[in-house]
Amino acid sequence: MEFFIQILFAAVVMGTPLLYATLGGVISERAGVINLGMEGLMLVGALVAFVVMLNTGSYFYAVAAAAFASGIVSMIHGVVCLMLRASQIASGLALTFFGTGLSGLFGDKLMGETVEPLSRIPIPGLHAIPVLGPVLFNQDALVYFSYICVALSWWMLFKTRLGLNIRSMGEAPEVCDSLGLSVLGYRFFAVIVGGMFIGIGGAYFPLALTPFWVDGITAGRGWIAVALVIFAFWDPVKALGGAYLFGFALALELRLQILGVEMSPYFLKMLPFVLTILVLTLVTIRNNRRGIQVMPAALGTVFFRGEKH
Amino acid sequence: MQLFPAPQRAGNLLKANSISVQIFLEKRVNTSSRGRVLVLASALLLVLLISWFFFLAVGIEPLAAYKIIGEEIFLTKYGWQDLLVKMTPLMFTGLAVALAAQMRLWNIGAEGQFHMGTFAMTWVALHYDGQLPDGMLIVIMFIMAMIGGGLWGSIPGCLKARFGVNEIITSLLLNYVAAAWIDHLLFGAWRDPGSNNFPITKEFSEAAQLPAFGNTSIHAGLILAVIFVVIVAWILWKTQLGFKIRLTGDNPDAARYAGVNIRTLTILVFAASGAIAGLAGFSEVAGIHYRLQQNISIGYGYTGIIVAWLARNHPLGIVLSAFFMSIVFVSAEVLQIEYGLPISMVYLYQGIILFTVLGSDIFTEYRLRFTRFLL
Repeated sequence: MEFFIQILFAAVVMGTPLLYATLGGVISERAGVINLGMEGLMLVGALVAFVVMLNTGSYFYAVAAAAFASGIVSMIHGVVCLMLRASQIASGLALTFFGTGLSGLFGDKLMGETVEPLSRIPIPGLHAIPVLGPVLFNQDALVYFSYICVALSWWMLFKTRLGLNIRSMGEAPEVCDSLGLSVLGYRFFAVIVGGMFIGIGGAYFPLALTPFWVDGITAGRGWIAVALVIFAFWDPVKALGGAYLFGFALALELRLQILGVEMSPYFLKMLPFVLTILVLTLVTIRNNRRGIQVMPAALGTVFFRGEKH
Repeated sequence: MQLFPAPQRAGNLLKANSISVQIFLEKRVNTSSRGRVLVLASALLLVLLISWFFFLAVGIEPLAAYKIIGEEIFLTKYGWQDLLVKMTPLMFTGLAVALAAQMRLWNIGAEGQFHMGTFAMTWVALHYDGQLPDGMLIVIMFIMAMIGGGLWGSIPGCLKARFGVNEIITSLLLNYVAAAWIDHLLFGAWRDPGSNNFPITKEFSEAAQLPAFGNTSIHAGLILAVIFVVIVAWILWKTQLGFKIRLTGDNPDAARYAGVNIRTLTILVFAASGAIAGLAGFSEVAGIHYRLQQNISIGYGYTGIIVAWLARNHPLGIVLSAFFMSIVFVSAEVLQIEYGLPISMVYLYQGIILFTVLGSDIFTEYRLRFTRFLL
């Protein structure tokens, strides 16, 4: 039982950066903009958070700076694919290159530096609940913040006019345009807010998971998050479940080694990626069979006023 | 065509004596290839300009840096040699990405296919060395690299063709799986006992090495790459298969009505693309390292995406763009040696190059127009 709780606890911890990144992806893709640059944005967030943490010692500044920096970098994506009408896929890949290079270049001098990882804050009352308490309510501040973010982004997307407009941009931008809404404005907003969430996800790596700098600290999690957006059906609440499911797979990778399971550590490393491919395939098959069309209809399209689509 | 969605509000950039200047984007009637080259050239100039500021940011005298890069690359024998050596795998991976892109498929798994190619050929080299007639070993390694990369590439192809799974995500995720598989072998069964615990296999015998030109490190892989460029160009433009590929890329519905079996073609193209990426691994291992080790690919597979994009997926353009990206790689090496900058700078540059080229594409199809009118 103790072990079971430990693994669930670790699942939430490992799932948190995925959750932030998936939330960011959901917001951006709901507005019709694919962001394949998640891996790069997470790396930028991780780098900036680590540097700011080293210099100020404040978690708040570190997270805020990570969000700000990722927001700025995702603006490049916005300019290139929204204003200059380039392919969103190619621009996203460029973002990945850019972020990987940036974190590699400036992270080179940070090797060996360490920061104090975020401490756990048990929530009074709630953390005493059996199983759920130690798993969900004995975590660090960024995990709690992620709960709030899920609730907020769900409320924003589905219960406010702003969210309705954002979702409409992903379904029928030409209709929005004829109603006098600024497609460029809303899409830009979604890309930047999404980028900020992804950056916070990246910040979680040096602030909580690995409190020292390693090259490529996010280890491909950004790409898992790209798949998670599809798995979560572009819904923040489902993103929560998906992120923890993959967090579980990642936690298992660590725990099985401790348990002494006779398995090459490299196979365990493959596990989350193979799982992602399997889950993605199953979700796609399911959607095809039921004829569900949850994907935003205008996802990945270029909108320009007065032009045929 | 307006750059800003509400020109009445945003377009009044210049107001003098109530004359207003508006910036418009006007669609060009015909896009000339000269225009394309011009736009591409100015995009690359922009990259140089950005790197100017970048050099200043990391505290390097930009002019001196350009001078050193230019001298080291173009004025030394070693520089030219390195350019051609680095260009070889880039031609293969660029070609792999471009072939898939001709059918509007994104193969961003060239990195993984590269690794699985090296896996398959190394398996032959380690187990069948000395048991085959002269000259057969290298040929079988060549074929195995294609099979290894091809099978790995056909996974996203099959998933796409059979179930419609997004090939961008699957092909990329498989890169991580392939890298872990190579690590598993290098830290396990294939590690050379005499390597002082370094994760490397034992060196291949001469029968498993590609011949080099004279005393240089330029090897036969370069010729192979050129041959494959020609073959792919020939298939694409001179055969019915190539016509089907291009037709499906341009208009899948038309292709379907014309009786093209898109599913089979998807798998075939992805497998072929993977096979070519696998050959990049073959040429690196059999041409340069003569053994399997870590970091054989310094992002060649990913760079293939940019090589293909710069060449607009045209096989012959790939020779030029691979050469260009090779300059970027070697420049980064020079900067690493001269200024101690980490080699991961290559990725940063690739990002900047891709961004500027993508962003400039619009000017090949549109022209900026300044219209003046009295208010």
